[in-house]
Amino acid sequence: MAKLHLHRSAEALRRHKARGADSALILPLMEGSAPDDPALAAAAKAARFTGKAGAALCLPGVHGFTILAGIGAGKAISDWEAGGGAGMAAAAGRAQALLLADGATPEQAAGFAAGALLNAWRFNKLRDTNKDKDAPPARVTLAVTSPAKVEPAWKRAEAALRGALYARDLVVEPGNRLNPASFAERLSALKEFGLKVEVLEGKCLAALGMGALCAVGGGAAIGPRLVVLRWPGKLKAAPVAFVGKGICFDTGGISIKPAAGMEEMRGDMAGAAAAAGAMLALALRQSRAPAVAVLALAENAIGAASYRPSDILRTFSGKTVEVLDTDAEGRLILADALAYAAQRFKPRAMIDLATLTGSIITALGHHRAGVFGNDEPLIAALMAAGEAVAEPLWPMPVDDEHREVLKSDIADLRQCAPSGSGAWGGRFLSDACHAAAFLREFAGGGAWAHLDIAGVETRDAPAPLGPKGPSGFGVRLLDHLVATRFEADA
Amino acid sequence: MPDITFVKPALPRSGALVLLLAEGAALAGLAKAAEEATGGAVSRGLEAAKFKGTKGQTCTLWAPGAGLAKIVAIGLGKADALDAQGAENAGGTALVAVQQERDAVIAADGLAPTLAASCAMGLRLRSYRFDRYRTTEKEEDKPKLERIAIASAEATKAKAAFAPMQAVADGVFLTRDLVSEPPNVLTPAEMAERCKALEKLGVEVDIIGPREMKRLGFGALLGVAQGSAQEPRMVTMKWMGAPKGKKQKPLAFIGKGVTFDTGGISIKPAGGMEDMKWDMAGAGTVIGLMAALAGRKAKADVIGMVGLVENMPSANAQRPGDVVKSYSGQTVEVINTDAEGRLVLADVMWYCQEKYDPRFMVDLATLTGAIIIALGHERAGLFSNDDNLATQVKEAGSAVGEKAWRMPLGDAYDKQLKSDIADMKNVGGRPGGSITAAQFIQRFVNGKPWAHLDIAGTAWSSKDAPTVPKGATAYGVRMLDRMVADHYEG
Repeated sequence: MAKLHLHRSAEALRRHKARGADSALILPLMEGSAPDDPALAAAAKAARFTGKAGAALCLPGVHGFTILAGIGAGKAISDWEAGGGAGMAAAAGRAQALLLADGATPEQAAGFAAGALLNAWRFNKLRDTNKDKDAPPARVTLAVTSPAKVEPAWKRAEAALRGALYARDLVVEPGNRLNPASFAERLSALKEFGLKVEVLEGKCLAALGMGALCAVGGGAAIGPRLVVLRWPGKLKAAPVAFVGKGICFDTGGISIKPAAGMEEMRGDMAGAAAAAGAMLALALRQSRAPAVAVLALAENAIGAASYRPSDILRTFSGKTVEVLDTDAEGRLILADALAYAAQRFKPRAMIDLATLTGSIITALGHHRAGVFGNDEPLIAALMAAGEAVAEPLWPMPVDDEHREVLKSDIADLRQCAPSGSGAWGGRFLSDACHAAAFLREFAGGGAWAHLDIAGVETRDAPAPLGPKGPSGFGVRLLDHLVATRFEADA
Repeated sequence: MPDITFVKPALPRSGALVLLLAEGAALAGLAKAAEEATGGAVSRGLEAAKFKGTKGQTCTLWAPGAGLAKIVAIGLGKADALDAQGAENAGGTALVAVQQERDAVIAADGLAPTLAASCAMGLRLRSYRFDRYRTTEKEEDKPKLERIAIASAEATKAKAAFAPMQAVADGVFLTRDLVSEPPNVLTPAEMAERCKALEKLGVEVDIIGPREMKRLGFGALLGVAQGSAQEPRMVTMKWMGAPKGKKQKPLAFIGKGVTFDTGGISIKPAGGMEDMKWDMAGAGTVIGLMAALAGRKAKADVIGMVGLVENMPSANAQRPGDVVKSYSGQTVEVINTDAEGRLVLADVMWYCQEKYDPRFMVDLATLTGAIIIALGHERAGLFSNDDNLATQVKEAGSAVGEKAWRMPLGDAYDKQLKSDIADMKNVGGRPGGSITAAQFIQRFVNGKPWAHLDIAGTAWSSKDAPTVPKGATAYGVRMLDRMVADHYEG
């Protein structure tokens, strides 16, 4: 991530002018207003630029290289973020960018910069970047009237931002580079930020009774891991727990997926990455709230030791599960992780994140993730957090009807409805709801919510808050949730 | 269909007796009389069967004495928690328990008269059968029940409370009949003809055919209809029940009536295609709703409109790629001829709002498979541009056991409908498929308060429920009747 330089505006503007068109000046513009500067005002009018949040107008040659960034009504932080992001996208190819947020509140200014840096994320580790003419500016400056006043707001925003980009860095990695072992190693490096990290693997997992995680990960050359991240916080309270699905690559197993599009399955660990990113954010901003993340890491591979449809697994909770479809593996590893987190940490609230079902994409598309749960206030808080950080959720039902189809003839429950069951040859199964009903069986009795983030974990087109590719969905949402709900004294 | 009467409590001398027993309550009234007349057989039987009176629990005592063929005990759950739905469900359960007897008495003497009426409503709703095409059914398979008496201490009051319910049940039955009818019988013309039956209830019925539609410019609806040998119809039903001096703008209900949906040139898979006879359930529901409102003389002005077509592949059928001009003037590129319901609704709804300027429009349609993938079969998808209206619909549904689940709308989804050459496409792809369908319809409501119920998962049921035998459910009739009663008859 490019480091943000925070400077007093007068001085920053002077330096910017000296650099000429090499440096882009990004100016926020409220919807319906006109820039004070006559040249900018004339240009905006000619281009019919309205200042809509997330829109930007590039004006090469006007005072060097100026960009008008739409911030909508100019109130909500998310509008400033969208403006900063859009402005940054327009600055591609410049060496430097100067974000001017003179009249903004500290939080708005911080949002303007956070949006810009979310947009500027790239993954160039594996290619020659010299050829990238559209690289984002390497040096980014936020210019404000009083840097000292903005500094604390920026620190908070930066923590969440770094958490989100950390998650993207993980999600983008292909399956041959990020396997359960190397993923666990990278998570272990979070120790330097004050997180306690435990990695459970091999015989230890078997001895704990993680029958589901061991079965799902058992077909791969590199076995499964359960990683526990802990942030002590300051409050004397039970921790809030994040549980993440971390399937490093998902072939589907014996119930193998069609070849077309299978490469996208490198991102099937986005839930675990988001949970880890949220933990990093909490540590970076020294959150008062104690938190834990329990991440189930496995590769769902095809091999001589792969688990099979019809296998019955004994999960960590003691409940037995009949496997119908080895490609519905996410809910299996989450079953063990949820039950483990509930039993060991007795959390105040438990939130799991998973790229779980195709059904949720049919239901909600790529614009919202589904939230299921057993606790209305927690769901409401998650919804509000999602709106605040532009990671919107929509509540979905989980009910007895959905549990009904999970009755097994010979085990405590089965993992999903049989394919081909139900009306019209099984073309219309509400699998996202079934999966949530399955997870509910392992979540213990406490407040629990499940975010099905399939469909939002990756962007298929550039947006203000990020390029095409992994979105880091969930990190900023969880950080905001903790900040607004779990940091007050009991 | 058995006759339902209300009588003063008295022990029958033959046939079946149904005892409605609350959890933990001592035998009283008719139950006590039965206990005495049978020399204690009731308490002996219930004790042996460990009958506790929990909700839905049943126990049958054969030939208990006193000339009775059987006594059936039905649990009501906790007496103080018994509500109308609980009483209806008990009635439905009772019906099934006694339908092989000729006469039955329901001991509702422990229930308030309105709950006794609800019990009768449950009986009535469950007694529905669609058997007009059975010619060889064996006598022993047919229900024998001819008369059923509800014993209530306040029989007159209970009877009075039942009268409006009976009118609603008649509406439900009309809908179930229409939805159950095979498509070679129920063509658009035939369905329109059947609407005329509502005239005797005081409903004004107006039917138009293809010539008038062509004159008006119903290009979207006619495009769907053009592949079929059956002519389309649009039926307007008016119930002007608001008292003079209390006239307001009318309420409007609009239904999709595709009497058979092959998918057209975008033909559906063969498996399960027979179910597409009920792709007119939205229209069937509106017709039943109008019958219910008129039957109970609702004090409101209500317009019901249905667009009736058959969607067939043929030499003259509409093709994927065709562009049609809707009545609103907006053009639609038909990408998938199997997304035809929204095309029919587009013209009918625009016409409705233009001609009648209603207070709101609620449409019902078996619109998308995606809504089943999203929610399953227990809840319809509810979309609305008006929170107040959405809440009214949802709460009315909860009160009568027809559940709806709010689904999102938004610009991001609307964009999925963008066409390269017309104002819009008729589909937005798989992601969020029922949301984009709702967005499509929203483009034809002209900003009026509007709610859309996607009933594809709820119009037909594959299993019996206490008050809804499997088959056509008439989902929506009771919900919307209730909504009108709760909010629009004051």
